[in-house]
Amino acid sequence: MNQAEVSKLVSKLRIKVPAEPRKLRSPKGPEGRIDKLRKTVTGLIKYERIELNHNRGDEARQYAERLISEAIRYGDCHKPTMDVANYWLLEKELIHKLFKVLVPRFENCNTAYTRMLNAPRPLPSRVDDKVVLELRGNPYPSLVNRQSNNRLLIQNVLLDAAKYDYRQSKYAEMAEKIGQREEAQALEKKSKEPTKESSNESKTPEI
Amino acid sequence: MKHQILFLSKTIFQNHYNKVTPLSRFLSTQEAIERRSHLFTLEKKRQAENVGRIEKIEVKYKGVPNDCTLVMNKGISTPYDCARHLSEWHVDTSALALLDGTVYWDMHRPLTENCTLELQNFTVAEPQQVNKAFWRTCSLLLGACATVAFKDTVPVQLHSFPGPDIRSGSFIYDIDLPTLPDWKPTNQELYTLSAEFVKLVRQNLILERLEVGEELALEMFRDNEHKTKQIPSIARNNGKVTLYRAGHHVDISKGPMISNTAQVGRVTVTSVHKLIGSQDSDVKQLYRFQGVALPTNVVLNHFAYSILTERAKKLNPARSPISFATDKEDFEPESIAAKV
Repeated sequence: MNQAEVSKLVSKLRIKVPAEPRKLRSPKGPEGRIDKLRKTVTGLIKYERIELNHNRGDEARQYAERLISEAIRYGDCHKPTMDVANYWLLEKELIHKLFKVLVPRFENCNTAYTRMLNAPRPLPSRVDDKVVLELRGNPYPSLVNRQSNNRLLIQNVLLDAAKYDYRQSKYAEMAEKIGQREEAQALEKKSKEPTKESSNESKTPEI
Repeated sequence: MKHQILFLSKTIFQNHYNKVTPLSRFLSTQEAIERRSHLFTLEKKRQAENVGRIEKIEVKYKGVPNDCTLVMNKGISTPYDCARHLSEWHVDTSALALLDGTVYWDMHRPLTENCTLELQNFTVAEPQQVNKAFWRTCSLLLGACATVAFKDTVPVQLHSFPGPDIRSGSFIYDIDLPTLPDWKPTNQELYTLSAEFVKLVRQNLILERLEVGEELALEMFRDNEHKTKQIPSIARNNGKVTLYRAGHHVDISKGPMISNTAQVGRVTVTSVHKLIGSQDSDVKQLYRFQGVALPTNVVLNHFAYSILTERAKKLNPARSPISFATDKEDFEPESIAAKV
């Protein structure tokens, strides 16, 4: 095939990108849509954690991911990348933040650069689904309360105790086995003259 | 007409018969449970009326969403009421309250003075006390489901349960079944017990706490010879016995307990072992009912859970309340259900 490899032209994003772009309703048409997304991307880079409607959040996330990955890929001496950053970031000091702060932060990152979480919505209400969009490694407290590694949770206490129990039973079994072998060998030695081969065998434990 | 008269004479005869002989002899298990629950309700009502003039206390709440001060009623409001001021999430998940950072308090126990309040659920950073309360509650509920699971012809005498030891792998209740000298439950029977447990849990019963005097406690547990013997030693310190009620089931325990049975999620009654009493104990044998449970919202792989149930089938090494060889003094405080 004579086709260029796509991943060399466009950096592959680590999030799921839908085939069709989402339409965001705006009186100005497609241009208005892009304006909205530019505002959102700027806000995300500026505040690092924002809450917004799902549609807009999901759409803006793709552009933000792309922007960061381009910045990491080409650096700040690359004219087209600079132009892209200049276009997407409405506040120009954020261009410095992108290249000086976010690029070093995400250089060795092997996951997506942003995280999107569903936000609660008051019930009953007719508002759209809300999401929280954030940059990874932001300075705010964590939104998720995952403590499955806490050894003190009841399920972990139970499993630890079960593990300990199992190990103890295995050790007891092994000790018993070794004891039996030693006894058998002692008996053998008594009955026969000990040969060199048998003594060699006894040194290798059978586990 | 003749029929009516016959019926009347029959009832009169029966009434008379009942009056002559002591009532407790004829109480079935079910009636005894309801009588106990009724006495509990009356005593609770009496204590509530004794509060008198309502005074206000300030409860400083610490935690999510933000710290705040609640003005509550002294001797009436409970941490549960405080949680209801906050949100449904607080009401559903809070299992235990922590007062002033040191005292663990039941969710349904009235507050008595100004304090700071933290609500504890099963996922707090240091959940040891909550876990213990959970295990203790499971023991209590196991007793409750064992009393209702058997037919009326099989009397069930609850004996006691030891303090919660989660690392042992199972919660236990020692129960006396005088008419079943040699019973080994089939798997089907264990399933039935588990189902009974689940039924109980699904009723979303709150665990009420009440402190009663020794005489009333003796009156409530008149039909249970084991508890009757334990009550004096429990009440030795301050003349009070702490009771807990879930639904109609009333039991003695020092507490604290979790807030609601709905907080018990996956549960299995795993085995029943026979305990043989020593020569000098007056109870010859007991059955040790064992089970394992997890709080709601704990997602555990079925394989991991099967490891836990397999382990819970082994006889729990907790000390048997009826085998004391030499140190009788050491035994007594251990034997009572209230020991934590």
